[in-house]
Amino acid sequence: MSELFVALTPANLLACFVGTVLGTIVGVLPGLGPAGAMALVLPLTIKLGPTAGLIMLAGIYYGAMYGGSTTSILVNVPGEAASVVTTIDGYRLARKGRAGAALAVAAIASFVAGTFSVVALQLAAPLVARAALAFGPAEYFAFALLGLVLLANLTGGSRAKSLAMVLVGLMLSTVGMDPLGGTVRFTFDLAGAQAGLSFIAVTTGLFGVAEVLASMAEPLAAAAVARVKFRELYPSREELRRSVPPMLRGTVLGFLVGLVPGPAATIASFVSYGVEKKVSKHRAELGTGAIEGVAGPEAANNAAAGGGMIPLLSLGLPFTPSTAVLLSGMLLMSVTPGPFLLRDHPGVFWGVIGSFYVGNVMLLLLNLPLVGLFARVATIPQQYLMPAVLVLCAVAAYSDNNNIFDVWVMTAAGIAGWAMRALDWSPAPLVLGLVLGPVLERSLLQALTIARGEVSGLWASGPALVMLAAALIAFVVPGLAALKGHAS
Amino acid sequence: MGRERWSAVGLALLALGYLLAARRYPLDTLATPGPGVVPLLAGVALLAVAIWLCVTSVRTGATRVSGRPPSARAGLADPATTIRAELADPATTIRAGLADPATTKPAMLAVALVLYAALLPRLGFIVSSFALIVLAARLMGARGWWRPAALALGVAGAGYWLFARWLGVPLP
Repeated sequence: MSELFVALTPANLLACFVGTVLGTIVGVLPGLGPAGAMALVLPLTIKLGPTAGLIMLAGIYYGAMYGGSTTSILVNVPGEAASVVTTIDGYRLARKGRAGAALAVAAIASFVAGTFSVVALQLAAPLVARAALAFGPAEYFAFALLGLVLLANLTGGSRAKSLAMVLVGLMLSTVGMDPLGGTVRFTFDLAGAQAGLSFIAVTTGLFGVAEVLASMAEPLAAAAVARVKFRELYPSREELRRSVPPMLRGTVLGFLVGLVPGPAATIASFVSYGVEKKVSKHRAELGTGAIEGVAGPEAANNAAAGGGMIPLLSLGLPFTPSTAVLLSGMLLMSVTPGPFLLRDHPGVFWGVIGSFYVGNVMLLLLNLPLVGLFARVATIPQQYLMPAVLVLCAVAAYSDNNNIFDVWVMTAAGIAGWAMRALDWSPAPLVLGLVLGPVLERSLLQALTIARGEVSGLWASGPALVMLAAALIAFVVPGLAALKGHAS
Repeated sequence: MGRERWSAVGLALLALGYLLAARRYPLDTLATPGPGVVPLLAGVALLAVAIWLCVTSVRTGATRVSGRPPSARAGLADPATTIRAELADPATTIRAGLADPATTKPAMLAVALVLYAALLPRLGFIVSSFALIVLAARLMGARGWWRPAALALGVAGAGYWLFARWLGVPLP
């Protein structure tokens, strides 16, 4: 526990500061999201060592949640998917001249929710990790499978399409050395493919290069941003009072949603908005510029970002692209997340959690006075920003293995990702299939070996049976509902 | 509807090709599963999903069935498409089609990227990155040559300094 103070060493404070500022900027910028940005700076963070490096990566992750609201409110352009709902009431508040109040409430809600979720994370993660110590290969297989099925259900759009993308990711994960026997598969005699497809190359391609290509199809006009004076930042007492209940509801909801696989932060913000529409005292005003429509969703998306860290830190299983990048960062720094993280690297574990407290305070202090400055970032013309992003993607992909093959992988992933966007296929399930593929494969094969070839060994234990049953239900029920819908 | 079905057919072909390539890897027995087991499962599953997608796209056209309310569904959609849907006029969204003239520029940049990857080992990092940035900036509508060139010089130089010098990455 005392290791929490690891976060307060000057180097870690600096890493946290840089991470949260970068995160805020990424959050403000439409296009580049946290997953792509984290993949971009991954090579830099490795140089910093595990604790500082992961603190910086995590800072980008939750900093983006803060920044996303800024442009939602000021220019009606959400910087992140998780801030799309905030545009509804936030922008209308700005039109009414209450932009400052909306920004302040968004920052305060993010702070409250972020801090709450760290407390919950700090308490829950060790418990989950301890429980997970009893997990064998069969349980890991069942959990990863359940995660991927839920992910396909929740990613939105067509379920079958998400499932297909998960499977494509799984296939890509089989390129290179197989996790148990060491057989080299699907390399087609390309030397660079022996170690497998670089996760960083695929992520920078799908979330960086593809984004640049897509932005060319419909160039975004640089946004005109209203100026907000520091004095206007104070919400009125009435506005603050009205913000408290949605903030608290959003925090709890968001944290719970964050535990579920899928684009949790985005879902959480929409769920919170939906709840406010039902239970808020001022529900009639929602949609016309009500402060509740900012406080609830902004709390929810930050709490969800914290909740999403629990499966990563305690089980080693990421269920969002951003936490997947964090996982690959940890692995590159030879830190294996999961039940043993707390035992083997307590400094890293508590240092990262401690940095969440520090980072949330930093973000609040930074965002309130500097919100106007951050909003101006959105006015950087795309034609100067995007080409620079391209080269940074290439360098990040290359430096993973110092290999030109990874630049090819990145280029291919970028072009494929652009086509996928154009055809309405989401890249997020693919990335998670790619990350969880080796976990699934290793645990399945090990479980079979342990059970001496009895397939029933996969559901011999209680937890495994429950999780597999849940996966089956999650897989079958929406399908049946869809068939019913067809019939009627 | 046509596009949905073609993507499904493409996926089915991908699954078939993958399964064909996976035949090389032994399955062995269930007690000592070989490196071919998971590829076989993944390939068959993708094939099944692709066939399902193909069938449903024929039967129902473009309509998707979902019990969720529209607002929730919009929120669950892929972050990028959601943002884009918010940003762009419905008429100009990428959904408008691949034949759209708006796709020629991204296609040109894609070709430039392939050239970049090919020339990187020959021309070195600074020269090829400089060229890529200038080209990309011009393609995106930057006017004149001075600003793109200055940007390219700055980014390529800073990238080289940061990665090759400070991080010790042996850039080409």
